[in-house]
Amino acid sequence: MKKLAAFALSVSLVVPALAGCGGSSGTATNNPGTASSTPAAAVKQEVVFNAKSEPPDLNPLTSTDTTSFWIMDHLGEGLYTKDKEGNPVLGVAKEVKLSDDKLKYTFILRDDAKWTNGEPVTAEDFAYTFMKHIDPATASTTAYLLYYIKGAEAYNKGTGKAEDVGIKALDAKTLEIELVAPTSYFDKMLATRYWHPINKKQAEADPKWAANAETYISNGAYKLVSWKHDSELVIEKNENYWNKDDVKMEKITWKMVNDATTSYQMYKSGELDFNKEMPSDILAQEKSSPDYKSVPYYGTYMYMFNVTKEPFTNKKVRRAFAMAIDRKALTEMVSQGGETPAYSMVPRGAITPTGKDFREEGGDYFKEDPAEAKKLLAEGMQEAGWSTLPEVTLMYNTDESHKKIAQALQEMLKKNLGVDVKLTNQEWKVYLDTTRQKNYQMGRMGWVGQISDPAFNLDYYLGDSPNNRTGWVNKEYDDLNMAAKVEQDPNKRMELLHKAEAVLMEEMPFIPIYHYQQNYLVKPGLEGLTYPVNAFPSARWATKK
Amino acid sequence: MARYLLKRILMMIVTLWIIVTLTFSLMHMIPGDPFASESDQLPEQILLNLRAKYHLDEPLPMQYLSYLKSLAMLDLGPSIKSETRGVNDMIKDGFGSSALIGMQAIAVALFFGLIFGIIAALNRNTWIDYMAMVMAVLGIAVPSFIMAPLLINYLAIKLPLFPVATLASWKHSVLPSLALAFGPLAIITRYMRTSMIEVMNQNYIRTAEAKGIPTFLIVVRHGIRNAILPVVTFLGPLVAGLLTGTFVVEKIFAVPGVGKYFVDGIFNRDYPVILGTTVFYSAILVLIIFLIDLAYMFIDPRIKLSGRGR
Repeated sequence: MKKLAAFALSVSLVVPALAGCGGSSGTATNNPGTASSTPAAAVKQEVVFNAKSEPPDLNPLTSTDTTSFWIMDHLGEGLYTKDKEGNPVLGVAKEVKLSDDKLKYTFILRDDAKWTNGEPVTAEDFAYTFMKHIDPATASTTAYLLYYIKGAEAYNKGTGKAEDVGIKALDAKTLEIELVAPTSYFDKMLATRYWHPINKKQAEADPKWAANAETYISNGAYKLVSWKHDSELVIEKNENYWNKDDVKMEKITWKMVNDATTSYQMYKSGELDFNKEMPSDILAQEKSSPDYKSVPYYGTYMYMFNVTKEPFTNKKVRRAFAMAIDRKALTEMVSQGGETPAYSMVPRGAITPTGKDFREEGGDYFKEDPAEAKKLLAEGMQEAGWSTLPEVTLMYNTDESHKKIAQALQEMLKKNLGVDVKLTNQEWKVYLDTTRQKNYQMGRMGWVGQISDPAFNLDYYLGDSPNNRTGWVNKEYDDLNMAAKVEQDPNKRMELLHKAEAVLMEEMPFIPIYHYQQNYLVKPGLEGLTYPVNAFPSARWATKK
Repeated sequence: MARYLLKRILMMIVTLWIIVTLTFSLMHMIPGDPFASESDQLPEQILLNLRAKYHLDEPLPMQYLSYLKSLAMLDLGPSIKSETRGVNDMIKDGFGSSALIGMQAIAVALFFGLIFGIIAALNRNTWIDYMAMVMAVLGIAVPSFIMAPLLINYLAIKLPLFPVATLASWKHSVLPSLALAFGPLAIITRYMRTSMIEVMNQNYIRTAEAKGIPTFLIVVRHGIRNAILPVVTFLGPLVAGLLTGTFVVEKIFAVPGVGKYFVDGIFNRDYPVILGTTVFYSAILVLIIFLIDLAYMFIDPRIKLSGRGR
């Protein structure tokens, strides 16, 4: 057997050389140019990440996924950018003037802000970018993020004219933006990748400029140097970047390895400097390793209730379900990813103007208590006039990890509440359809705030939010959110958001299960990675020893 | 012959057309929407804009016709999920890698499959035969997603002969090719053994033996040629399948091939990708089956190809 295997192996080394002649018209077979597969010498400031898959879209106007964001966050820079701690600081703009009514922003751009091709970044580039973003013809799914700008919503929805949008390039270095209402967190928004500029000249000359390294132009800390689709993407420090002295890592490579086990093995064999998204068996094994790094992620794993279907029409029944679940056991024994049990909608990670965490200020909104839960359930049933609880089916989208959690919930609800729930699952896109049409009673969902501000989590359950699949509409909740949106005093704004969350958690159209956590493995010697709460780490300030 | 070829080519086009039509209608029957996602805070108007951009707002028959039209120009359309890369780009970029791994796997499977099958048949009911059959059963029973991690663990981690994954050099392609080859190798071994045993019991073999021709020559000249036909039949779908990439092995070894688009396309309801990959696969399958029919003629001159009924 052994002999045979050895023989098979040695012959297999010869045969493919012949076969290669016929089929090697393809991509990755002959790349003498990339010698990077050998591990770099210790001093070289290069790092290798795993992007997991091909980044679907590196165009700031249309990109929507975390893989692309990870790369774009290194490549581009908006009027504002983020410092090491994630706070918004001035980026391409060197000066900002705000009118007395807090509606009109005037940005003066840096003279030394340049594109990767050496040309200056102009106000016209920004104006072009923002107008393209909300152009109905672009059909960008993130256009709504720009609705803060006067006239943007109407233009995007086809009811307004481009001339009426409050974006103006006054001269080459002066940009004026007019808002619908005062927005105290506008700087936070401007620091995100949705507001990175694109090069007007390039975008007009080549609509597919963002698809290849040769045509990609950016203005941030790094430039895209090579992009072999589905296999590898490389960026290097941008020598034309105005703040290049504040960029440590010289070169970042993203491999595209989709399989979690393979990725882990590549980390182990030294082909990757950093690994994420590990299966629970590997996590358990690596938890005590010095490489292990666990950071909170700005999202909430939850079960939505359909409040238009019995028995979740009743608030007490909803509350009883929420209180009957042992989240500590769930996160420690089932999901096992270091997640934090959740008793609220907003995760930790949103810093308030006083410097505290919004979650710490707000605290927990309910306690787990099986006895109290049973009592509430009985009361709820009495209120609604049910002698037996209507049958409950719990739904999730087909996935091993969601299944494990659903099964644990089933068990806990039976044990703590005496309720038998059925489980059913659907493939993701079918599931989205089903829940949107409200053909469910209780369904799994997850939500990560795009900006680490409580408003971007709470707006999930607004009455007119397309995300809100619960059928729950509450005027007080909507009003509080709206008031917070226009509130100018940042402290008062937080107060309003706390009040809004209190209403949401009182009514409980969903059960929070846990707040997400990201678990990473970082090669010893790689230091200074920064960990934003809603994105993958940035290597800009990292060094390798 | 020319008449036969023409008829076959016409049939191939009709077959493809039926496949496109079936796929098109089935695909639009699955519930779900390419634009649905967890994070869709999409105002109605944006959705309308999007649907207009991909012509999904037109009635289905219109969409069908315009798809056929662009297909005739060999344009498989844009991908909805990937804003910047069309289906043609995906296949163009990925097919080389998939085909390289696939051809190597076929070469290994065919070479060893035939040899093991012949040896097993000639040593029927001896320990050699049993060993070959145990291997064949294992090869069929152990799926590639078990084989692949095993190969990585032993030949890349414990014994660092080969890189773990990705396809940066030829050396990277050895393990995925091996992982892919095991299943087909086992099947070919079994086919070859069975048909070889049958052939070796034929009268003409006995005649040849009686004439005193050495066993080796009997096997090579008379045995293999007759016994190989079932294997050749099996090769058609196998080659088409391996050339167009396999989801599991490509995923585990991070091979930048086309295999994943078959699955991801459906998962994302990326209609042009679903259609494009199906058309691509069918075209290759139909073509290879055609080539194999031609090959029969050379292997066994008794088989005559003609357009008429036999």
